Amino acid sequence: MTLFPLLVAAAGGIGAALRLALNGVIHRRVRPEYPIAMTIINVSGSFALGFLTGLLEGRMLPQPWAIALGAGLVGGFTAFSTTSFHTLRLVQEKRWWAAVANSFGMLALAVIVAGLGLWLGWML
Amino acid sequence: MSQLFAVLVGGILGTGIRLGVDTLLPHGADDLPLGTLIINVLGSFLLGLIVARFWSAAPLWLKAGLGTGLLGSFTTFSALMVSAVALTGSGLWLLAAVYLVLSLVLGFGAAAIGLRVGRVSTPIDWVDE
Repeated sequence: MTLFPLLVAAAGGIGAALRLALNGVIHRRVRPEYPIAMTIINVSGSFALGFLTGLLEGRMLPQPWAIALGAGLVGGFTAFSTTSFHTLRLVQEKRWWAAVANSFGMLALAVIVAGLGLWLGWML
Repeated sequence: MSQLFAVLVGGILGTGIRLGVDTLLPHGADDLPLGTLIINVLGSFLLGLIVARFWSAAPLWLKAGLGTGLLGSFTTFSALMVSAVALTGSGLWLLAAVYLVLSLVLGFGAAAIGLRVGRVSTPIDWVDE
């Protein structure tokens, strides 16, 4: 049990590697002028964490699994710092609508799908 | 390949530090998750700082390890969303909205300040660092 935090941290490392890989795959197809990959990553991750939390609350998933997959894998997969920085860059380029979409837009979308995931996991 | 390895190592460290902060600053379903807020604002500041200070000279693997790995995994977007949903579940709609907007605005501001602080106008004297 003392090794458990190391396992969660390792899952976070895997999440970060997945983020790097997915970023590369998406921006090889879509030009990186708008950071759409991070939106996809953060929104899908918010759904996944909502779903895992719902499963945990519905007693469908043991707590250690929820922590390793949720706080570890999904927590390391999504990123806040990168998104703050992208919004800042969009503002510096005076692309106002893109900046609003990358901040408030992403936030609204992610909070809705997180709620949806939570509800879905709880229903199962 | 070295880039992927650097991100993996950075991600393990970043997640580990986030877990540590979460343990030090625990929160219930009906109060403001202060730990996540501090983590996200601090991580945004540090990213701005290291981008301004090191990015032009840093090798690709180091940028990936520190930016994508360490700070990317230290900060988290998903926990912010689920905590906000949990607050609405407790009927605290206003607190949830304040928490989300505060995270967004402070994160943005911290990245801007980090970028400004990190920018050096005079050559750095490494002896004094």
